[in-house]
Amino acid sequence: MNPGPTHYECVALPLSYSGWVGAKMLPDGWGASSDARGSTATVPAGMADQADFEDDAMQFAPQLYTAALRMARNPADAEDLVQETFLKAYRAYGSFQAGTNLKAWLYRILTNTYINKYRRDKRRPTESDLGDVEDLYLYKRIGSAETADASRSAEDRVLDGLVEGDIKGAVEALPENFRMPVLLADLEGFSYKEIAEILDIPIGTVMSRLHRGRKALQTSLTEFARDRGLLPDTTDEGTYG
Amino acid sequence: MGDTCRKALERLYAYLDQELDEASLDEIRAHLDDCPPCGRSFSFEERLHIVVKSGLREDIPPVVIERLRAAIRNELA
Repeated sequence: MNPGPTHYECVALPLSYSGWVGAKMLPDGWGASSDARGSTATVPAGMADQADFEDDAMQFAPQLYTAALRMARNPADAEDLVQETFLKAYRAYGSFQAGTNLKAWLYRILTNTYINKYRRDKRRPTESDLGDVEDLYLYKRIGSAETADASRSAEDRVLDGLVEGDIKGAVEALPENFRMPVLLADLEGFSYKEIAEILDIPIGTVMSRLHRGRKALQTSLTEFARDRGLLPDTTDEGTYG
Repeated sequence: MGDTCRKALERLYAYLDQELDEASLDEIRAHLDDCPPCGRSFSFEERLHIVVKSGLREDIPPVVIERLRAAIRNELA
């Protein structure tokens, strides 16, 4: 299932990618547009044609909407978010390097728009806000680690018993700093490098937030599983049998 | 839990995200084959990862697509 290094190759971004990575998207308007317009005159080759925008970009609308829904957490804001993202992207499309990662570019605009416009809690949670969660948290609560024989059916019970609402609820409950990398990785399958560029944070930070975010996700999922009666009543080890 | 188990566990998410280079991947696969407890826990995490990914999906209502196209065309006009 792991294709190995080929994964890196297929997501490797061309050098021109840095053109938009360096461009700061500020709360009020598109910081890069004036620069880009100036450079368009001197470097016309390879620039995207604004007239092609709808054809090029609309294919990504369904996935962007899903991500927007998990960010904004309600359909009305999600739709506004996607519309604003597409309109910003359309206006800036002339500065987009044709042939580079359009999907990642759209996600960068989406996440920036969300962060600047919809984030109600401006306080950015720190790494420590999620607390320290042990590895394999849910797995250990199922008791699989201790009782190999019974494990598979107990695991199936949990994995089959968790419903979509549980997953969505658990992800939406994550603090935003952790929710974004998790969404970009799990919903979209972006590589760590792409997530770093979309969120404008170092790769090491992407990895640590994914790690901690997913561990926090497991504690929420464990609660859902417990509420649904999918877990053994006691989490004490050694009481089995 | 031995050192090899700990090292494997540290790379669990990089493994699930297909971010490991070939050498690390071979190392982990060899360990998972040799160590049933790690093999079981990784296989659970792999299945959970799939459940999470599929649980996040959502269909976009056709009317949202229509309104989005209309907004773009309006901008174009």
